[in-house]
Amino acid sequence: MNQPILMAHVVFGVGCLLVAVWIFVDVLHASATNQARIRRMSWALAAAMWSAFLIGGYWYVVFYKADKSIILKGPWPFAHDYFMETKEHFVITLLLLATYLPIAASNNLAANREARRLALCVAALVAVLALLAEGHGAIIAMGVKVALLVKPN
Amino acid sequence: MENPAVSKHTISFGLALALCAVLNALLVIAKEKSKGVAEWMQKMTGNHWVTHVAIVLVVYLVLGFGLAGMNRGQGSKTTVHRLTGIVYLGVIAGVLIVLGFYLVAD
Repeated sequence: MNQPILMAHVVFGVGCLLVAVWIFVDVLHASATNQARIRRMSWALAAAMWSAFLIGGYWYVVFYKADKSIILKGPWPFAHDYFMETKEHFVITLLLLATYLPIAASNNLAANREARRLALCVAALVAVLALLAEGHGAIIAMGVKVALLVKPN
Repeated sequence: MENPAVSKHTISFGLALALCAVLNALLVIAKEKSKGVAEWMQKMTGNHWVTHVAIVLVVYLVLGFGLAGMNRGQGSKTTVHRLTGIVYLGVIAGVLIVLGFYLVAD
């Protein structure tokens, strides 16, 4: 039963995406009153991303081989050849961004415009890459599905 | 332009992030183009991807703490304004190299 592991990976990934958008909006309105919340949410984002990464990494190393062979025999081999190959590598950059966000958010965002701009940049990049990862994951899952739906001649 | 009240780790780990995003992409090309590199990465941990992740994370930490120790412990003199541009550039370049490489790779 590896489906709960995979679903946990997706849940933490979506959580990371939602929190990134939350932080982006909060940083746009950074003040003395929401600064502590921005920092807490940045740590929550890092925790969500590390959870998604470790769970997904475990699933990839232990279970993905079976899915890969199904995908490659099906009508959507590009689900592995392009989408899995790219996803497994650009998420490393996403992990670094998520790890860096609490550092960027530790500065005085209410008073420092440049620090605010940096935090916005990191939160935006996290949101875009997390969305890209979710889309890639959906195509990989669809690659397995369409392969299993193919009727043998 | 000076750094108005940001920690030295904000600058050093930001630079490390941008550099590691590009390193990540270069590692992809290296292991896909060189059988020797791919085999070495596979042998190191039993899985090429685990080795890849480990290399990027170790370099990130070494660069982050190393750059923070520059200038007698005061850290890099890069401004926050410039750092933001470097982070954008490094991350976008790194991701585009990965996305583009697999489009044209055999």
